[in-house]
Amino acid sequence: MSEQRYFEDVRTGDDIPVASRTVGRTQLFLFSAATNNPHRVHYDTTWAVEEEGYADILVHGPLQAALMAQTLTDWAGPRGRLTRIALRNRASAFPDRELRFTGRVTDKHESGADALVEIEILEEDGAGQILMPGTATVALPRRTGGDR
Amino acid sequence: MSAIPIPDGHTEELTARVEKKEFQRWAAAVGDLNPMYFDEDFARANGHRDVVMPPLFLSCVTHQAPRLDELRPDGTRRGRVGFGPLPDELDLPPRRMGGGEERWYYSCVHPGDVITSRRSIRDIEKKTGRSGAFVLVTWESVDRNQYDEIVGRCVSSMIAR
Repeated sequence: MSEQRYFEDVRTGDDIPVASRTVGRTQLFLFSAATNNPHRVHYDTTWAVEEEGYADILVHGPLQAALMAQTLTDWAGPRGRLTRIALRNRASAFPDRELRFTGRVTDKHESGADALVEIEILEEDGAGQILMPGTATVALPRRTGGDR
Repeated sequence: MSAIPIPDGHTEELTARVEKKEFQRWAAAVGDLNPMYFDEDFARANGHRDVVMPPLFLSCVTHQAPRLDELRPDGTRRGRVGFGPLPDELDLPPRRMGGGEERWYYSCVHPGDVITSRRSIRDIEKKTGRSGAFVLVTWESVDRNQYDEIVGRCVSSMIAR
């Protein structure tokens, strides 16, 4: 995880560094187990292809959301806090293929005690197809005290 | 687009204690080894009493282990999906996929906190898209801690077709 980012240092238009991730089948198994999720589309290729018509088993939506959130919390640093995330599932994500998580700061504002950054976020596959667009809000500490 | 009446029994309220081991297992499966989730000293140095729960784990805290006798052929559970209750009498098309979600997190959650999640169906709509007819189910949930403070909220939707 990166070092601490402060509200004063962020500008509208800043890019969140690209996170490129490839989710393997073993990771899908571990995430199903960690979330008590027995849905066969995430581990049973025969079921996913023959019964549901997918090209392969699917990466869980909540795992994609978690990877997007990680991109944001890594950018924010340990005293930053994710306060909102909104996502739309546009297309299926498959294992063993590149997933790219990006973001761009669209606004920053102070609301009461919070110093907030608005971010447009996007998950694409390696071919540039949009899988999961969305928006998020991150609270960052200020350099001048009162950070939380 | 038409609304389908929401049947009775569409609200659930579940309570569970936040276990460090459970959210660390989740974070490890994500591949997110953030020291705020794993290293007590690091979290204390950043103003917390203990490690912090990853925010997106909030919806998992009250998840109950599925029982083998309640699974449908596709492995999903009868009477509910991950987002919340889904009464069987709705008789929805069998293929299920996430539609979208918006989640708000108001404060950090730590091991030992007790979360009560109240989830209910907000609406059920029949729609027609490019690939034919589908049903869109939307849930809302509110998560409170042991002090009755709202720590998170969520609106999420599922497509059945």
